[in-house]
Amino acid sequence: MSTSPVIQCRGMTVAYGRDVVLEKIYLTVPRGALLPFVGPNGGGKTTLLKACLGLIPHQEGELVCDFGAYPPAYVPQQKQLDPIYPVSVRDLVCMGLYPETGCWGRLNRDQVVRVDEVIARFGLLRHQHKHFGELSGGLRQKALLARAVISRAEVLVLDEPTAGLDATSEADMLSLIRTLHQLEKKTVLWVHHRLDQCADFSQQVCWVDKQSVRLRAISEVLS
Amino acid sequence: MNLLKTAVSFTQLFPEAVICGTIMATVCSAFGVFVVLKRIVFISIALSEAATCGLALALVFHFSPLAGSALVTGVVVLLLTLPDKQQALPKDVLLGTVFLLASSASVLLVAQSGFGLEEIKAMLYGDLIVSSPRDRWVLLFTGVPSLLLLLLFLRPILYAFLDREGSRVLGLRCWFWEGLFFFLLGLVVSGASKSGGALLVFCLLVVVPATALLLARRLWSVIVISVALGVLTTWAGLLTAYSADLPSNPTIIGISCLILMGVALLRTVTARICAQHGAGSSRI
Repeated sequence: MSTSPVIQCRGMTVAYGRDVVLEKIYLTVPRGALLPFVGPNGGGKTTLLKACLGLIPHQEGELVCDFGAYPPAYVPQQKQLDPIYPVSVRDLVCMGLYPETGCWGRLNRDQVVRVDEVIARFGLLRHQHKHFGELSGGLRQKALLARAVISRAEVLVLDEPTAGLDATSEADMLSLIRTLHQLEKKTVLWVHHRLDQCADFSQQVCWVDKQSVRLRAISEVLS
Repeated sequence: MNLLKTAVSFTQLFPEAVICGTIMATVCSAFGVFVVLKRIVFISIALSEAATCGLALALVFHFSPLAGSALVTGVVVLLLTLPDKQQALPKDVLLGTVFLLASSASVLLVAQSGFGLEEIKAMLYGDLIVSSPRDRWVLLFTGVPSLLLLLLFLRPILYAFLDREGSRVLGLRCWFWEGLFFFLLGLVVSGASKSGGALLVFCLLVVVPATALLLARRLWSVIVISVALGVLTTWAGLLTAYSADLPSNPTIIGISCLILMGVALLRTVTARICAQHGAGSSRI
């Protein structure tokens, strides 16, 4: 496995039209980090991660990403998926295999086993044939995380994975994130709002506030 | 037995109406599933009106109706798929303007053409009964290949619609799949508008798939039910119109809407009963 940084931004500027969201930022994200992206609302946390994933183009500067052998996996907020779509939890998890199956490919035996394993591991066995829209927020978020994990991505990017979840589901989700980082050595980059919770996971956070983007010790931010 | 006799007699008298209605219902009802899922109902009515405007243009300037409707629909599709980074106004405003412009242009063009009221009505509202073998070929050449491409690329189109950003990270070229869908939709609407008219095409793109979505929970089932419902309501509408001496297209639309309302009502009642008995499922 490569030891080079996952993301390196050198003087990167990101804007929506004329509205500059991130200006000349410098950031290096080490491989294997579990790094919460925190900062004020509108500071550009989600924009920064989306820019790193190539979802938003950057106007200036340099962005070097080395996500490893597989493309990164992105976990959006569960409310971003329209519940009207007639897809089951299993269908959604299988979507993570698209880079392997392509447009028409059927799942081979190994892939079916992988789907079964991930579904069981995320506690979705009872719900696998349920319509995505019928699930609670916590289960939907778990299904999205399962889709990310099955893709074998080394880097997981999560956009507020606990937003709108009740306390139990939130704890469940945080525990899953910790497991993925500790046991599978995944690099996990996630937008989060609660600094007190971040302290349980990481020594550092990535503080994002427009021009000011840098890695800071949690104790420093809390004080 | 009586119904069978009526059906046979109708098919013998108007074979093209049955064939064109069946092709149109099959293709439009399948495409409509994605129109409803993507919540682009207003786009479909704007496209239908644009196709009608193209037909009017062709009528006035004496060129092929398919070329006219394809041309105007193509321009509208292009306009709708252009990225709008500024987003100064909601996209609905653009759609509403296209709809109004296309509707008024259709009426104005035909009004200036010197054609009679019946021609104007037939063009604006369509009439399956007067479908010709040429209409059948137009429907076959536009609708069937479009449907095959939709089914062939169902997976990437679904993924691009379901989770655009997630799909892009997975490596899908979402702009391509969305563009392909809109191009095919434009082609289908152009081909269907002359026989079906804007209202019937809109009904098959929206009302029928919406009914199917209330009845099924897997994508393939929704598509199959939507197509089956579309074909059955078209046949039922044609037969009812023939038996009761009614205009065919409004009859098909009326039947489709009644079925949707019936299914929605049944679903609500079932959901209430399930809730009372603690069954939990809200689907029938």
